[in-house]
Amino acid sequence: MSDLKQIPIHAEGDAGGDPKSEGLFTRVFDELKAFCRSRSLFMLHYCTGCGAIELPPAMTSRFDMERLGIQPMVTPRQADILLVTGYVSIKTLKRIILTYEQMGGPKYVIGICSCTVNGGMYWQSYATAKVLNEYLPVDLYIAGCMPRPEAVITGMRQLMENIRTGKADNWKDYYRRYDHYLGNQQQLFGERWQTPTDVIGEADHYGLAGPETTGPHTALLQQHQVPLQPLEMRLGSRQERKP
Amino acid sequence: MTLLDLLLLLSLATGALAWLLGRWSGAGVLAALLYAGQLALLGAMDGSAAASPTFQVLGQTIAWSLDPFGRFFALITLGAAIASAWFMAGEWGRRYTQAGHSLRALHGALAINVLAMLLLLASTDLVSLFIGWELVSWAGFLLMAQGGAAAVRAALRYVTYAMGGAMAVLGGTVLAYAWTGTLDLGLLAERLPALEPGRLWLLVALFTGGFGVKMGLLPFHLWQAPAYAEAPGPGTAFLGAISSRMGLFAIALVLARLVTLEGLDGLQILPGQFGVRDLLAWVAAFTIVLPTFTALKQNDARYLLAWHGIGQGGYMLMGLVVGDAMGSAGGLMHVFNHATYQAALFLSVYAVIHRTGTADLNRLGGLVVRMPLSFLTMLVGIIGLAGLPPMNGFVSKWLIYRSLMTEGMPLLFVASVIGTLGTILSVYKLIHNTFLGQLRSEHEHIREAPWSMTGPMLALCAIVFVTGTAPGLVLGWVADAQAALGLPVLRYTLGGVASAKGGLDMLWIVGVLFGGFGVGALLFYGGGGRSRRVHQLDNYAGGHFLSADVRYQYSDNFYAGLMHRIGPLYRNAFTWLESALVSAVDLAALAMQGVYRQQAPAFLLLMTAVAGLAWVVL
Repeated sequence: MSDLKQIPIHAEGDAGGDPKSEGLFTRVFDELKAFCRSRSLFMLHYCTGCGAIELPPAMTSRFDMERLGIQPMVTPRQADILLVTGYVSIKTLKRIILTYEQMGGPKYVIGICSCTVNGGMYWQSYATAKVLNEYLPVDLYIAGCMPRPEAVITGMRQLMENIRTGKADNWKDYYRRYDHYLGNQQQLFGERWQTPTDVIGEADHYGLAGPETTGPHTALLQQHQVPLQPLEMRLGSRQERKP
Repeated sequence: MTLLDLLLLLSLATGALAWLLGRWSGAGVLAALLYAGQLALLGAMDGSAAASPTFQVLGQTIAWSLDPFGRFFALITLGAAIASAWFMAGEWGRRYTQAGHSLRALHGALAINVLAMLLLLASTDLVSLFIGWELVSWAGFLLMAQGGAAAVRAALRYVTYAMGGAMAVLGGTVLAYAWTGTLDLGLLAERLPALEPGRLWLLVALFTGGFGVKMGLLPFHLWQAPAYAEAPGPGTAFLGAISSRMGLFAIALVLARLVTLEGLDGLQILPGQFGVRDLLAWVAAFTIVLPTFTALKQNDARYLLAWHGIGQGGYMLMGLVVGDAMGSAGGLMHVFNHATYQAALFLSVYAVIHRTGTADLNRLGGLVVRMPLSFLTMLVGIIGLAGLPPMNGFVSKWLIYRSLMTEGMPLLFVASVIGTLGTILSVYKLIHNTFLGQLRSEHEHIREAPWSMTGPMLALCAIVFVTGTAPGLVLGWVADAQAALGLPVLRYTLGGVASAKGGLDMLWIVGVLFGGFGVGALLFYGGGGRSRRVHQLDNYAGGHFLSADVRYQYSDNFYAGLMHRIGPLYRNAFTWLESALVSAVDLAALAMQGVYRQQAPAFLLLMTAVAGLAWVVL
């Protein structure tokens, strides 16, 4: 733990956004894609705190989130939005990061309630992770203690607008500056922290690996990481594998 | 020497060779080849093929001859025998021998079963029918009783039922001879419909009840599932595929050919409202629904499938009783279809048992990554069993449903659909609990079954798919069988049925289905086709970190919610009825014993002898 403090965490990354797509057809197609994407969002609500109580009215008939094309999804693999609804204890944050990494890109994180912004009324707590976007790339905060369904809907509409205009691409930041996020996570959880997801491999997969994807923190991770054995399909002709 | 002589001789030789060479490692392959030879002889037959040996009983000629109806069943029998013999040709047979069982007894019993069935299917009169019937019953017992203590108990229960059934058949035979003066099926077909209704009622009841025992028709169905499930592996597949269909064969022979559907229409319970055909259709409907929902409750894969075997028999009888061209074709075709997918399903279950040692659905799971070919077999099989396109089960069920609708039997249609609902639910349980979900850590290192086992499984899969896509291949035989039975003949095409009221063309359906897959594949691969395998433990369980020692996705008490709703409907009424009957017989036997023990035995003997003499003299 002692040498963990000495590894610097880069606060700012390179602002390397996507170059604008060339050609009219490509641009129209991209815009159509972004429009469609913003109109069909599956939301995994990871209800961590009291803010979750405002979600049922937002989702059900009174405010009816589904008219915006947003509906709940039960697994992260199919979800687009990760909704973190309230204070995040350190123990919970591990689960949130695991869940976030299991989602397929593009993916968006919304922090609801003041607790996710700065710890809110838990700002003095030793067991609460106070600023969510140190650990995950948050696309949008909906502040308030707690925000009314109208605020939630407004926030959702803002996220839709951001997706449509291509502003909501913080998920790429997680791959580009993985070392930064991992560093903050390690500060909180200790150097043995690991999730089953191979984030660096995914960054390569999406073509998003940059100079800050890897660094001293990922090197530390690789020292401790115990990879899961591949669960491959085998036919009868192969020899039985030794345990 | 006719072709049927050759066939029966080869079948006999197969039995002898299987018994003599059963210990030799190549016996399974040899047996499969011999069955294939018999199949080739069957294919060479044309029209009705008679056998040379005949004998005389009561001045009547007893002979054997295989018509297209019998040939249709013989074809399925031999196909099932090939698959079973092939399955035990390699590692399965070696393991079976190592476990202290006799492989040659199993081979021999299988061959005897085939011979007995061929004899039954070739019968031309009531005596040869009864001989064949008894041979089939006892041959079935030989195969069932080889699986250990539970199997012997189940087999004894079967024999009790089978003897009861055989007595009914014998009674029917005697009465039919007494009332018509002939044993020949052709002559009976002329004389039986002319009998007075009371006598015809009795004959129909005796024959249908007697043959229905073998078929597992309600209320005589209780023996079947344990007897089939406990038989040794390929034996189960063979029995499940074809054995109980012999009952259907005999019922169809009696009802459709001898009594004829017009003759049956003369037997009314409420004249004009409810006749014997309606009664049989409702018995078939209950045979569909009740065993299917019993299957839903089973936690042993073998029992689950065996109970479904009883339920699917109901569909076949239903189709036959409806009796129009489509319905009877559906019923007969379902015999073929059921044999193919049921054998595939049983073989895949036994492949799993071979590797894991259990068929307990609560102790399996996640095997798809270890046994993908067995998974494929089970997937194809359950699609067939549930009656969904593009597998062959869909075609026969479609024909049956269609005829129920066009003949105006909506309630029976609903009953069949409820049965199908139960089927879909329980086959999902079967494949989920066996192959999907979490791989148990004790199964981490198993591998796919050897090719000697996956070979027949995949071959059966291919048949299930091909005859589902081009049902005309089977409907040709079905139409010949219908003609031989005297039923209206279905007009078929390669893809299904051409009908002015809306036909069925599976070629189109399968084409559209795979076209849909093609569009999806085009979109996926056109868009780059990027995919990534994730580990099973890299999974979502409410955010939990998963490890191999934590059970997070497994099945125990599957369908707990459904059982909460429908559980109280299971009353075990038939089990209760059976035990009440057993108690009554026990009591009667005890009473007889008491009389015999307390009175002087010699006195009783004397009384019996005097009574017998008096009867003879008077």
